[in-house]
Amino acid sequence: VDVSAGARDDLNTFAKGLKGLDGRFTQQVFDPNGKLKETATGTVALSTPRLFRWQYAKPYPQTIVADGRTVWVYEPDLEQVTRRPQGVEEQNSPLAALIDPAKLDAQFNVQDAGSKDGLSWLALAPKKEGDSGFRSAKLGFGPTGLVRMHVVDALGQRTEIRFDNWRKNPKFKPATFQFKPPAGVDVIGG
Amino acid sequence: CASAPMRTGPAVSEAAAEAAQQSREVALREDADWTLTGRIAVSNGRDGGSGRLEWRQAGERFEVGLSAPVTRQGWRLSGDAGQARLEGLDGGPRVGADASDLLRTATGWDIPVVALADWVRGARAGALGPATIHYDATGRPARIEQGGWTIDYRWPDAASEPLLPSRVDARRGEARVRLLVDSWGET
Repeated sequence: VDVSAGARDDLNTFAKGLKGLDGRFTQQVFDPNGKLKETATGTVALSTPRLFRWQYAKPYPQTIVADGRTVWVYEPDLEQVTRRPQGVEEQNSPLAALIDPAKLDAQFNVQDAGSKDGLSWLALAPKKEGDSGFRSAKLGFGPTGLVRMHVVDALGQRTEIRFDNWRKNPKFKPATFQFKPPAGVDVIGG
Repeated sequence: CASAPMRTGPAVSEAAAEAAQQSREVALREDADWTLTGRIAVSNGRDGGSGRLEWRQAGERFEVGLSAPVTRQGWRLSGDAGQARLEGLDGGPRVGADASDLLRTATGWDIPVVALADWVRGARAGALGPATIHYDATGRPARIEQGGWTIDYRWPDAASEPLLPSRVDARRGEARVRLLVDSWGET
């Protein structure tokens, strides 16, 4: 039995038959010296092939929607929506590969990183240095599937995201992965 | 002020507001080490973006960090009035004489960094020539016009010491910078 394949098996089990996913997240950001800079919470929804909605609730609202062609970032408090072609987003976020493990291997060098804190981990490194904006990432799996995503960016800043309440293949309303800019806000970007 | 006065109907007279502003600016110059965390949205009608902002100022030296949503990737721009360094973007660090030019060329974001270090605290920018200030009813700057930019202010409701803005909107032609302050701090 190949014990070290723990995390990889967990990923495949987690992703088997997975068409969609939603759940809650808590995100903490640490500066390069390890000082906690920010804690944010919200909900996340994902649907094959490349749709996602990342909805921050606390400390302030913010919406990120990928509708398959465009990634929308809406900052209600600043009355601005930024849109950009979705291609770029894929490389930047290991999350997008969550429900499609084959994509994970296509974009990242994936290695088993053993177990720690009761979770089994996969370590990801961008295939081409500096092409996806983060230095390294780790995915932590537990009995309910993916529970942790850690990203270290090019400036050494560490983001730790904890997921919970995953619901597999929920019935999404069509609007979940659509975004229509509200009246009166600036919409910018390609 | 030369242009048509905004509805200020100042309970505080124009002269009194100007005197208070001058003493505030002297105090701000003496206390030139500060930090802020907040959010910023930048646009020039086409390009731009938004994200979480951290600004650390020590006299003329600034360090401005931006992190995007979700993975918090971003960039860090540091330097002073005469040189700047931009890190965190693909292709590695970049250096240049002017922070705003460096940032605009690398990201398309138009931020008047050196002037904004003064404007964001409700003061006229040191090196940008004459400015016009419109005061609100309580004698605080409601709008500063300087260097072709128009900067509108929102101040916290509760009186806070020192008195610092809670939101700053700067515009010049198509360029627009909206900065929302979540917290001010000492370094």
